Parts: sequence; C-alpha cells; structure tokens
Amino acid sequence: MVTTGISIVVFIYLVFLGYDEIKTFKDVIKIVSSVLFPIPMLFFARFILIEHFIPENTDAYKLKNQKPAVILLGATMFVGIGFMWLLETLTHQKLEDHLIFAHLINSTTVSSYVLNYILYNNLKANGILSGVMLALAMHVFFISN
Amino acid sequence: MEQVFIKPPEKNSNVNKRELLFTFQSIIVTGLLAFTAIAFFFYNHLAIEKGIKVVFAPFLSVVPLLFVLSILRDLRHGFIEGNYAKREVIKFCVIAASITAAFTGITFLLSKIDALEILLAAIMAVLSVVFFLRSKIKDILGMSIITGIAEGIIIYMIFLF
Repeated sequence: MVTTGISIVVFIYLVFLGYDEIKTFKDVIKIVSSVLFPIPMLFFARFILIEHFIPENTDAYKLKNQKPAVILLGATMFVGIGFMWLLETLTHQKLEDHLIFAHLINSTTVSSYVLNYILYNNLKANGILSGVMLALAMHVFFISN
Repeated sequence: MEQVFIKPPEKNSNVNKRELLFTFQSIIVTGLLAFTAIAFFFYNHLAIEKGIKVVFAPFLSVVPLLFVLSILRDLRHGFIEGNYAKREVIKFCVIAASITAAFTGITFLLSKIDALEILLAAIMAVLSVVFFLRSKIKDILGMSIITGIAEGIIIYMIFLF
C-alpha cells in the first residue's frame, strides 16, 4: 500500500510539473489517454488468466518468498534508475520533457500492482512492480533536476 | 474495485466473471469512442455542413445492426469455465495486437474526416460493431477484438495525435 501512495504522489507531482506545459487541448487528450492505456490490456489479461495463481496468502508462503521479493525489489529499483539515467544521457533529453512516457509507465505499473495485489498476490511480482514505481519516484524526485 | 473483480459467492463462477469483464471492456470502448468524437470535434474545428445529415447519420449503421441482431442466433457458445490452452492464448493475443494496429490506422483515417456528420456516422458504425460483438460473439474472440479497438484508439491518441 505504501508504494501505491508513493505512486499517487508521483502522479500528482507529474501533473503539477506538467501544468505549465499543458497549453492545448491536445496535451490534455494525450495525458488522459496515457493514463487510460493499461486498463483494456489488464482486463484482457484478467480475462485470459481467470484462475488465481496463488490463492492462499499464508505465513509459510510469505516466509518463503520474503527474500526473493526483497532482492527483486532492490534489483529492479537499481536497474530502473540506471536504465532511465542511461536513456537520458544517450538521448540528451529529460523525462520531464516527455511527460507522456512518465504517465504511461506510472499508470501501467499502478494498475498491474493493484491487479496483482487483489487477485494473484504474487510476492515476487509485487517486488518487481514496487521496484519500478520506486525507481520512477526516486528519478523524478531526486536525480533529475 | 473489489466489486469488479471479486463477485459475490453465489455467482462466483468464471463464466460470470468473464462476462462481467467483457461488459466492462465494451463500456470502456464506448467511452473511448465518445472521447474520440469529442476530441476530433473540438480539435479539428469540425463544421456542420447540413443539419439534416446529423439527424440521419446514426441510422446508417444502427438500422442494419438491429436487423442483424434480430435475425441472427448466438454465434458462439459463450465463455468457458476453465483456463485457455497456451496455443489459444498466443493466437488471441496476436489477434488483439493486429486489431490494435488496424485500429490505429482507422483512427488516423477518422482524424482526416472534416465534417461532423461523416465522423458521427463512422463512430456509430464502430459502435455498432462493438455492440454486435458484445451481444452475439460472447467469446474470447470478441474480447480480443474489443481490446484491440480500445488499444488502437489509445495508441493513436498518445503517439500520433
């Protein structure tokens, strides 16, 4: 739940950051559609994968998956930050100039996170998705100025 | 959110869940089509050339739809209870992806239309197709096509508009 909160903060921050960039009606359309982007895809995925992969959320399961999940969280976070840094250095552009992509990453991760949280409760997937969200948040808050 | 994904216990079968998801997907597509119409209308400053055409534009596609719906029986046997096989999943993902590509193109063509009544007729035609799929092809095929339509419109809006 903490990561969902962080992500909402990032989302609001992105909207305010891009506030002076929203000049035309076109930008509004682009942002709305980038936020909507993951939803049909997730419904489709849910439609196909109707069965719960891991129905039980027992203590034994949590204990078993604690370590891999934490490792995955850290790994994804560093890979994410490194990847974004590399991309910015290579293309000489800032993520803030391409808000659409930030919204796209953010909304996709948030929706998959919520879906995973409600249905499958796969702790490893949880680790990866939290890692992506944290990477985006740290990138927006601390690294890019 | 929980109401959407977790059904009450007495109707907790996969068929019902799939049907519900299918309904939601078609509602999303309907919303997206309305969104497209509004976006193109305001952004391209469409003009109404002949008022009478606007009144008759929807009939162009709604009348055939109603006719087809009334004479045709259900084409598929509905949703299945269990999981889909791997080959089916891949096949329908490919179908969804290709419909996405096709609909990116169709939305591009829609953006070229410069009169409101023609745009309205085109949007109503797509909407009729969606309702046809919704009511007669209640199957994974219909779901793939509807998903493709939705994603196609969104991708056009994000990257090409």
